[in-house]
Amino acid sequence: MKKRLYYLAFGLAAIVASSCSKLDNYPAPSNTITGETIDAGTGNTVQTEIGSRGTRVKLLETSYSSNPTPYYFQSMQDGTFNNTKIFAATYNASVEGPFVPLVQTDSTGKVTSDQSQNITIKGTNTTTHLTFKVEPFLRIDWVGQPVFNADSTVTVKFKISRGTTNPAYQSLITDVNLYVSNTKYDGDNNYDIRYSPFNSFSTAHQTDSLLTNTLTLTTKPGALPQQDVYFRIGARINAGLDEYNYSTPVSVKYP
Amino acid sequence: MKRYIYIIIAILTVCGSACRKISIPPPNIIQDKDVFTSSPGIQAYMARLYSELPIEDFRYSPARGLNFFWIISPTPATTGEALSRDQTSSMQENFGGWNWDIWHGSYTVIHDCDYFIETLPKYASNFNKDQINQWLGEAYFVRGMTYFALVKRFGGVPIVNKTLDYTVGGSTEPLKIPRSSEKAVWDQVASDFDFAIANLPDVNMDYKDGSRANKYVAAAFKSRAMLYAGTIAKYNSITLFDGSQNQLCGIPASAAAGYFQQAVDAAKTLEGVYSLYLKGWSSTDKAAQYQNFVNLFSDATSSETVFVREYNYPNSVHGYDAYNVPRQLIGPNGYSSEVNPTLNFVEMFDGIPKNANGTIQNLDAGGHYQLFNNTMDMFANAEPRLRASVILPGDLFKGESIEIRRAIYTGPSAGGISPLLPAGSKSQYPTGNLVQGADAGQQAFTLPNGSKMNPAGASGIFTGDQTCAISGFSVRKWLDPNLPTSQVLENNETQTWIEMRYAEVLLNRAEAEYELGTSNSANINDAFTIINQIRSRAGAIPLASSSAMTIDTIRKERRKELAFENKTYWDLRRWRIFDKEQNGTIYRVLMPFYSSTAGKYFFDARTDERNDVYTYDPKWYYEQIPGGAISKSPNLIQNPGY
Repeated sequence: MKKRLYYLAFGLAAIVASSCSKLDNYPAPSNTITGETIDAGTGNTVQTEIGSRGTRVKLLETSYSSNPTPYYFQSMQDGTFNNTKIFAATYNASVEGPFVPLVQTDSTGKVTSDQSQNITIKGTNTTTHLTFKVEPFLRIDWVGQPVFNADSTVTVKFKISRGTTNPAYQSLITDVNLYVSNTKYDGDNNYDIRYSPFNSFSTAHQTDSLLTNTLTLTTKPGALPQQDVYFRIGARINAGLDEYNYSTPVSVKYP
Repeated sequence: MKRYIYIIIAILTVCGSACRKISIPPPNIIQDKDVFTSSPGIQAYMARLYSELPIEDFRYSPARGLNFFWIISPTPATTGEALSRDQTSSMQENFGGWNWDIWHGSYTVIHDCDYFIETLPKYASNFNKDQINQWLGEAYFVRGMTYFALVKRFGGVPIVNKTLDYTVGGSTEPLKIPRSSEKAVWDQVASDFDFAIANLPDVNMDYKDGSRANKYVAAAFKSRAMLYAGTIAKYNSITLFDGSQNQLCGIPASAAAGYFQQAVDAAKTLEGVYSLYLKGWSSTDKAAQYQNFVNLFSDATSSETVFVREYNYPNSVHGYDAYNVPRQLIGPNGYSSEVNPTLNFVEMFDGIPKNANGTIQNLDAGGHYQLFNNTMDMFANAEPRLRASVILPGDLFKGESIEIRRAIYTGPSAGGISPLLPAGSKSQYPTGNLVQGADAGQQAFTLPNGSKMNPAGASGIFTGDQTCAISGFSVRKWLDPNLPTSQVLENNETQTWIEMRYAEVLLNRAEAEYELGTSNSANINDAFTIINQIRSRAGAIPLASSSAMTIDTIRKERRKELAFENKTYWDLRRWRIFDKEQNGTIYRVLMPFYSSTAGKYFFDARTDERNDVYTYDPKWYYEQIPGGAISKSPNLIQNPGY
C-alpha cells in the first residue's frame, strides 16, 4: 500500500516537474539608460510633473523593426531619468515634454529638424548616459524665498521668461499657478485646492507683462497648516499638449 | 447468376444515389439567399445595423460606452452640466471596459454596411428600384454615422470601404490598413451622407416615424458632422503626421470655411420640412411655454423630431427615470438623483436675479441673505426652458413639490443673516447653528412655533449619503411624469430617445453661419434670426441686435437648448474649450436653507461641498487608440501623448 503511494507520488512529481520545463530562458534585460533633459540655454535640468503629463523618454527599437511600436518611460520630476531594464538593441531615443519638440515638422508634416539620438546598446549590465538639450517653452525662476505673512499665508515672488526664440512657440501665457502641497511632488496633478491660487488668462486679457515683471502670488486666504509645505509655480502656453513648465519645489519652515 | 447481377445493380443504385448530396450549405446557418430575397430579410439586416448605430443615447456614458444599461456616471456629470455622486472628476471615454468596444465594434458595423452594399445589387431582381435605392442609402447613412463616431474620437482612422477577405494561410499584410488623414475621414463622412441624401426618399418607406433614415435625416447629420469638422479645422492645435505626411490629427485651417458652408447647406435642406415644436406654445403664457418644452420630448407627432431611437419592453429598454428621478420619488430598486445640474449651468438662463458678474444674486445690498417664503420665489420669473430642463427646489413634478433643503439654520435672524462662510471658501459649513439630516431616515426638528420639519428636504441634501440633489437641483429633461413610481425601474423604461431634432439643425446652421460671417453680413443676420427663434420658443428674452451677438452667445444657446442630451460633451471637445472650462475647476452649487427664527428660506451659493476638482487633459481631444488594435495592426500610429 505504502509502496503504491510512493509510486503515485513519484509519478505526480514527474508530471509536475516536466510540466514546468518550458521556462522563459531569455535573459532578463539588464542594461541601464540614465540621463537628463537639459535646458540648452541655462544648463539646468527641465523641471516637469510626475505622471503622464510630464516629460517622458521615447525609445524606438530600430533593430527590431523599421516601424516599431514606441516604448515610453517617464522622467522624474527634476528632469532626470533612469531605466534599468533595457534590452541590448539599437534604439532611436528622444524625449517629449513641455519644450520645443526634438523632432519638428512643418505644417505639411515634413521633418524640418531631428535631434533624436541613435544609440546602440550591447552586452549586459551596461549603462548608457543620454543628455538631451532642449528649449523649454517657459523658464520659471524664484526671486527670493517664500515669505510667511502675519495671517500665515505665504507670498512668493518669481519671474517667467521664454526658453526659446522659435517663432512657432511664442504664444501668450494661458495659466500661472502656485501649487501648494505637503510633499515636494507638487504640480498640476498634486496640490491642495484650499490654498493653491490659479490664474488663467483668456486671449482677451493676455499681456506680455507676465514675461517682463517679477510676479507675486499669495496662497488663498486661510492659514496654512503647521506642517511641511512645498511651493511650486507652474505656467504654460498653448503648445503641443499644453503641459506645464515648473519652477523647482521649495519649502519654508513654518514660523 | 442473373439474380446476383440484379442485386449488384440494386446495391449500386442505392449507394450511388445515397452519396450524392453531401456538399450542401449548412442549413442551420442563414445564407445570403435567405436574407437578400425578401423584405423581412432586409428588415432583419437593417435592425442589426440600426441597433449598432453609434449614438450617445439613454444607454451611453463615457465611463461605460455605448449600449450599456448601467448609467451611474452620466455624461452630464463630465461636462459641468451636472454633478453626480458617482462621477467626481473629468474623464476621457473608457472603451471596451464594460461592453461596446468602439474601435472594433465600429469596424464590425462598417463591415456589415460594406457587405450589404456589395451584396444587395446581386439580388436586385427581387425588389423594385425605389427599395434598392432606399436600402443602399440607409447602408451608406449607417456607415457615414460610424465613421463620424470614429473620427470625432480618434482623428484619422483607416478607411475600409470594401469587405476584406482573409484566406487561411495567406498574408495578413493587406489587412493592416494604415490610418488615413483626419481630413480624408471627414470627407468620407460627407460623401457617405451625400450618397444617402441622393438615394433616400423624403419619407422612409418602411418606417415613417423617424426611427429609420430619410434624406433629411442624412442631411441633418451631415450638418452636425461638417460643423464638427469645421470647428476642428479652426480651433484644434494638436497635430500628428505619419511618415508619408498624412495629417492624422488636425485639419488645415484653410479647410474650415468649406466645412462650415457644407454644414449650412445641409441644414437648409430641412427648412420647411421640419419645424420647431410649438403645439402648446403661447407667446404670453410662461406655463404654456414650459409645458410645450416638456412635451417636445414625449410627443410622438412632434414636427421637430428628425431621428429617434425607439425602445421596446423587454427587448430593448433603459432606466433613465430610475437613475434620475428626485430622491423623494425613488423607484423600487433604488438609485435616483444621478444628474444634479450645477449652479454654473442654471446661471446661464434668463429670469433669475443676477449680480453684475452673472452669478446668482442671493444676498441683499447689505450683504445678508435674501429671505423667501418659498424656495420657488427665487425662480418666480425663471425662463420656462430652465424649468423644463431642471427641477428647481420646490418645483412640482408628478404632482409633488420637490423638497430640496440643505439644513435648518437656528441662528439669529434679526438684522439679517450673514453668509455662513466667506465668499469663495471651500470649507465645510460651520455646524454650530445648523440642524442637518444624515440620510432619508432623518429625525424631524421642532420649530419655534411647535411644528415639525425635517432638517433636510425629502430630496436632500443629506450629509451622510449622496442619493440626493447634491447640487441643490435635480434634472427634469426626459423624465416621464406619467410613469408610476412602481415602474421606475432599471431595464424597464421605453421613452424614445430623440437623437436629432430640428432645434439642433437650426443651431448647427446658426453656428456655421456665424463662423463664416463678417459683421452684419447675411450670414450673421441669419444666425441672429435663428437664435431668436430658439430663444422665443424657450421663453427667453430675445437678443436685441445681431451686433450684440458673439460666438459665445451662440454656443451658450446651444448648451442650454441641448443640455442633458449628451451633446455638450462633444461640443466642448470640438470647440477645444474643455480644458479651459475644466482647469482645476470646482463647480458651483446652490444650497437652500430654512431659518427657523425667521421662518423663511435663504440660499447659499458655493462650490461643490465635496471639493471634486475637474481638470481636462488636452491630449484627450484625441482618444487613445486601443492597444489591442495596434498589436493586431502595427501600422496604426498612436495619438499624441499616450
